[in-house]
Amino acid sequence: MKLNHKLYSKSVLGAGILIAASLFPSCKKEFLNVPQQGQQQSEVFWKTAEDAGKGVNAIYGNMRSYENTAFPAIAIESMGSDDAEKGSTPSDASYFLDFDTFTIDPNQGNISGFWNGQYRNINYCNQVLDNVPAITMDATLKAQYLAEAKFIRALSYFRLVRSFGAVPLRLTVPLDASEYNIPRTDAAQVYAQIEKDLTEATEALPASYAAVDLGRATKGAALTLHAKVAMYLKKWNDVLSYTNTVMGMNYSLLPSFESVFRIPNENSSESIFEIQCALVPGNTAASNSQYSQVQGVRGARGGGWGFNVPTADLAASFETGDPRRDATIIFRGETTPQGDAIDPNGDNPMYNQKSYVPFSLFVNGFNEGAQQNVRILRFSDALLMNAEAANELGNSTQALSSLERVRARARQGNASILPAVTTTDQAEIRAAIYRERRSEFAMEFDRYFDVIRQGRGATVFGPKGWKAGRNEVWPVPQTEIDLSGGILTQNPGY
Amino acid sequence: MKTIFTRFSVLSLLCLLLFNVASAQNINVKGLVSDSQDKTTLPSVSVTIKGSTTGIQTDANGVFTISAPANAILVFTYIGYTTQEVPVNNQTTINVAMVSSSQQLEQVVVVGYGTQRKIDVTGSVASVKGEELSKQASQNPVSALQGKIAGVSITNSGSPGSAPQIRIRGLGTIFGNQAPLYVVDGVWYSDINFLNPADIETLSVLKDASAQSIYGIRAANGVVLVTTKKGKIGAPTVINYDAYAGFQKVTNQVKMADASEYATLTNELSTQNGGAPVFTNPASLGKGTDWYDQILQNAFVMNHSLSVTGGSDKSTYNISLGYLDQDGIVKTNNYKRYTARVSNDIQIFKNLKVGYNVTGVATKSKDIPLTIFHQLYSASPTVPVFNPDGSYGDPNDQHLGDGANFNPQATLDFFNQTSKEYRATGNIYAELKFLKHFTFRTSVGGEFGQLEARTYAPVYYATFAQQAENSTLDLKRVETRNWIIENTLTYQNTFKEDHNLTVLLGQSAQSNRSYAINATARDVPYNSDADLYLRLGNVDDRYVDDQASLIKFASYFARVNYAFKNKYLLNASIRADGASQFYGNETYGYFPSVGAGWVLTNEDFMKNQTLFSNLKIRGSYGIVGNASVPVNPTQALIAQTANLAAIYNNVLYTGASRNTLVPPSIVWEKGIGANAGFEAGFLTNRLSVEGDFYTRKTSRAIFALPILGSLGTIDNQILGNQADLQNRGVELSATWSDKTGGGLTYSVSGNIGYNANKVLNVSTGSNPIYSGSTGITNGYLATRTVAGDPIGQFYGYKTAGIFQDAADIAASPAQSGAAAGGFKYQDLNGDGKITSLDRTVIGNPNPKYTYGVNTNFAYKNFDLALDFQGVAGVDVYNANLAYRFGNENFTKDFVDNRWHGAGTSNTYPSTSIGSSANSAPNSFYVSSGSYFRVRNAQLGYTLPKTILTKWKIQKIRFYANAQNAINIFGYKGFSPEVGPVPVNAAEKISNTLSNTTLNGGLDANVYPLYATYNFGVNLTF
Repeated sequence: MKLNHKLYSKSVLGAGILIAASLFPSCKKEFLNVPQQGQQQSEVFWKTAEDAGKGVNAIYGNMRSYENTAFPAIAIESMGSDDAEKGSTPSDASYFLDFDTFTIDPNQGNISGFWNGQYRNINYCNQVLDNVPAITMDATLKAQYLAEAKFIRALSYFRLVRSFGAVPLRLTVPLDASEYNIPRTDAAQVYAQIEKDLTEATEALPASYAAVDLGRATKGAALTLHAKVAMYLKKWNDVLSYTNTVMGMNYSLLPSFESVFRIPNENSSESIFEIQCALVPGNTAASNSQYSQVQGVRGARGGGWGFNVPTADLAASFETGDPRRDATIIFRGETTPQGDAIDPNGDNPMYNQKSYVPFSLFVNGFNEGAQQNVRILRFSDALLMNAEAANELGNSTQALSSLERVRARARQGNASILPAVTTTDQAEIRAAIYRERRSEFAMEFDRYFDVIRQGRGATVFGPKGWKAGRNEVWPVPQTEIDLSGGILTQNPGY
Repeated sequence: MKTIFTRFSVLSLLCLLLFNVASAQNINVKGLVSDSQDKTTLPSVSVTIKGSTTGIQTDANGVFTISAPANAILVFTYIGYTTQEVPVNNQTTINVAMVSSSQQLEQVVVVGYGTQRKIDVTGSVASVKGEELSKQASQNPVSALQGKIAGVSITNSGSPGSAPQIRIRGLGTIFGNQAPLYVVDGVWYSDINFLNPADIETLSVLKDASAQSIYGIRAANGVVLVTTKKGKIGAPTVINYDAYAGFQKVTNQVKMADASEYATLTNELSTQNGGAPVFTNPASLGKGTDWYDQILQNAFVMNHSLSVTGGSDKSTYNISLGYLDQDGIVKTNNYKRYTARVSNDIQIFKNLKVGYNVTGVATKSKDIPLTIFHQLYSASPTVPVFNPDGSYGDPNDQHLGDGANFNPQATLDFFNQTSKEYRATGNIYAELKFLKHFTFRTSVGGEFGQLEARTYAPVYYATFAQQAENSTLDLKRVETRNWIIENTLTYQNTFKEDHNLTVLLGQSAQSNRSYAINATARDVPYNSDADLYLRLGNVDDRYVDDQASLIKFASYFARVNYAFKNKYLLNASIRADGASQFYGNETYGYFPSVGAGWVLTNEDFMKNQTLFSNLKIRGSYGIVGNASVPVNPTQALIAQTANLAAIYNNVLYTGASRNTLVPPSIVWEKGIGANAGFEAGFLTNRLSVEGDFYTRKTSRAIFALPILGSLGTIDNQILGNQADLQNRGVELSATWSDKTGGGLTYSVSGNIGYNANKVLNVSTGSNPIYSGSTGITNGYLATRTVAGDPIGQFYGYKTAGIFQDAADIAASPAQSGAAAGGFKYQDLNGDGKITSLDRTVIGNPNPKYTYGVNTNFAYKNFDLALDFQGVAGVDVYNANLAYRFGNENFTKDFVDNRWHGAGTSNTYPSTSIGSSANSAPNSFYVSSGSYFRVRNAQLGYTLPKTILTKWKIQKIRFYANAQNAINIFGYKGFSPEVGPVPVNAAEKISNTLSNTTLNGGLDANVYPLYATYNFGVNLTF
């Protein structure tokens, strides 16, 4: 303890300062330069062909989302029709009743869900369309990527414009806040943009892909969607021309209508575009489609929730003996072709068979029917649009010929049912085509807007509460109007 | 006692904790220290030899023995008493009578980077003694603060081991966890769940910006400083053992419908939705199952704390062990916490002191699925727990649909999750005094924590909706790795007797990393817990993901404290903080503060008055920052999630894109606060009063704003500097303590805080910010934030009654979805129809008044403490009522008051309350959230000294304690305290990096309140 006090105190002080100095890592500038952990920064992305491919993949991936395929889609695209009703138990998700009876409040979450879901598709498309052009890569592949994005963007805007009318038109990723809050663009202009995208997509998309790329948008898909859009706009020459082209491509109807909707026939020769879904082991997050689950048979293990069920009106609408009735509707007490016995005392008399996945394919922990692709465009749609366009343009021969192709397949060789339509009266053919569309596309989310574009909304849905001048479109989500601070306006009557 | 002492000395030496340095030859001086007025003996008075660091403390009986040179001067110091110096002059017995000083003058409070005499403080600092906290039955030290400090409101959450929410002077920040900064012995933490309340010596809350700003970057939500117990130089070994056992009992339970009522209402609902009745004869069903009775229990709790404290003339030590075993109010829920703490300070040389403290914590929790609470709330009473054949009662047999399609007993029985947490934290420091007035201190602190949750879902069959053919093992683990290094240099001097000057310079660097990993495997067999490994699962069906955050801070700070003649006080500080979250020019934020005070009672002109024994006025101003923001929020990121993977030909291909928007720039959020206050003591300090007025502006508040869905982002929000907020308030606290002639000692203290919150402006200009859209509001935006109003007010329709029939609907303004039994909304703009324009402010979730009354009585060997606490002037939105998917159960209140036919009710709707028209935010769901509670009541008895001396024990005290025993409120939910939603360990890990929005006061809480009853013992050897 008898240290020289001064020396010792100096040395300790010195040591202290040394220690302190060595503990000053913050003096280094890079100390605070900490990159985000485990996050890829946008500015180092969009550099390679792989990045472009991933960006396109994201577009397709998002198409499986709940908003695109489950409750919001049911609410907006199916519940208003005379084909479908709520289902499940009476008190379960009773807001579907408000869509069914057209008493919906603009605040209802499925309206904004559907709106947001479509705009998410559009954002992923715009990301690709904004960023991929500058990437140095194979020109053909680049053109294909851009065309795929344009196809999905067109599909999303089509779903929006027929649901809400005028909508904000976003064709680029907003750069700054000045581009965030934009007003609604007239429906006509939105349609014009959809057509532009589809024209450009048609030019660059290949007619088909190698197996590894099965499921991407094709030239046929762009043409068929364009025909549908043109049909909504009553541009019959365009409809005819696009569908004629599609009919000249390698599409054909499968012999059995029922089999079109089963897993082994996904992406078949009849398929023009499907949302690709799968059950990926170890990856519930990627196996996220709830399309089949929410409509599946209630009370059956591997079934589902039993929403969006066929109405008695639909069941009664089929022509006598039409096999499509049994292929479209699972009846309580029946045994499906795949051998599932449906409880005769189940909660609902009928379920959608087009979204049905055999119960044996259920894997515990995954959504029921996560494997099921969503059929968006089928060859029969091209045929019936072709028939309708030909009829509207006065060519009853072609109209009846295209119509008969669809009816012939539905007949499945049974000459005693579904007689060929032979009238040459334009109005009668038109009525026959309308009816055929209902039987062919029932429960495929087509009927509601199909009837409205036919101008028959009040006639067909009037008894349920549909009013002309109001219900052609759904209300714009109230949350969206609130957030726009009044830049967005509500549709009339809401 | 001697043997115990020796044993512990040996133990301590084994642990290398003690440095015993032999003393030089001296004489032994003995004595007794007592109060000069009432002659009571004073324990723990510090007795030191002047000019040395040698010293001891008086024992519990006021007796000291010290070995000192015959010519030494003994210095007696004790908080609240004037320091005395007595020359030894060869005396072997020195008895000292200590003179009580003006308490306010000598009281020391812990402030940032040091202590200050209370008299010198110019900001608003409130201190609570550790024993005040450990006395209560709270397992978390913060929750014991409730009602103790004006302006500090605590909201407790229900489950064992979860942290309460603490708000200091209102809602200052919106983003992040809103928790204050906790500084425990110089180490920074974001929660102090790991601390055993018994280890706390003092806890100080820095309430105003000037006191906080020395912690610049992290001070925006307030700062809580904790010092832990340490041994004292020369003090004899003291062993404390505290234990309690008791139980928690559910209180203020919301009553639910019984089976026949449920069946009646379910039939009504089904009929209204166009369906057939579900039950054929509701009346025959009777009471049915009471799920709360079935699943909840009176939960046992037991706590043991053992500490050994002591010191030689060169070193001090404190060793403590704690054990907590707490059951949850849900059967099977159990939480165990083991804590060990060691602190040791050694005076190596006369001017060099080193020390360290280490805390180790291990917890083990048998978790419950927290969905169980909502299940209890919604489960059907018509479903039996078990069928007569022993199988589970299945709601599917009754076709009840999704809202009630579960058996809560099965949910509990097949949930298997154990979580374990290990945490080691502490610091080591060296403190060097040199050149008389300088102190250099360097300190390195660290924390390593690991929380792991293993969840196993077995193969089972309970009910139709509760079964699994495959098992799943899920492993979540989060690690915390933090370090902090701080260096401070303090200069302290008194010039010419009158000028007290303290200057502090400091530097700090820290790094906080959290790392979470999550892995899942399927088809893991189960024979015992030894099978619960991922590697035993299917090789082709595994999932793994991880995430992390890393944040670094570099800071420099300085402070000057100056006092002239103990009358005029001036404090000023500045801190420069660099935070890695901000890039470029915004990396550094600067946080100055200044404060001044005037002690009037030390003025000559106050000498002759007798009213005030102490009077001080003070004022301060300061700026603090909020670093609770994500790393570089202006950096756009690419999402590469599984749901973005494309599927071509049934094969998965990685997808990546950008699906968020980021602000072009973001600046520091700052809290700018001013505080004016006074401290007064009357009647020789028997009455002390403290009052503060404060105003605090949160400038450029950072939070996420909801944005248009048409922007196509995944989260529909954008972060940014969105608003300027202001909290203004008044706080008043008063304490009366006295002693009656009959021997009753008592103190009564009360505190009240008033706070008014106002939004000064928002980034959306004149457009309000709409928020509060969550699942519980069925997607509706339920709150509005607009300039001039309090933040996040409830926003919706005002009800004008209930539609009675079709004629009523026809006679009322047109309303979409109108139906008999539904809400009739007020047409506020008078346009003849109900639209979104008819919405208005329907409530304010920001509490205006918080108050507490704390009392202590001691008479002979008895002591009694009663604490009351409450909140007033606040609204709550009961989001549970309309949060319905189908046939959930109803509350008894709803059963009794519902509309079920024309004329039956004009306030409560029909059973269709969950329909989209009825669940739109409206005034029916808003009610007052005011409450009053008997927070704590404790009665203690200390055994008389005569017995104890015989047993060689210093103190034995027994007590009984009741916490939250009485709660009074009008709100019809579980609790008007809308606090944090309890999460179990696995959920906590998932939420590590999440953020919050403007959803304050939206009550989705279904966790019953509970009272705690304990019996305990305090032993001191």
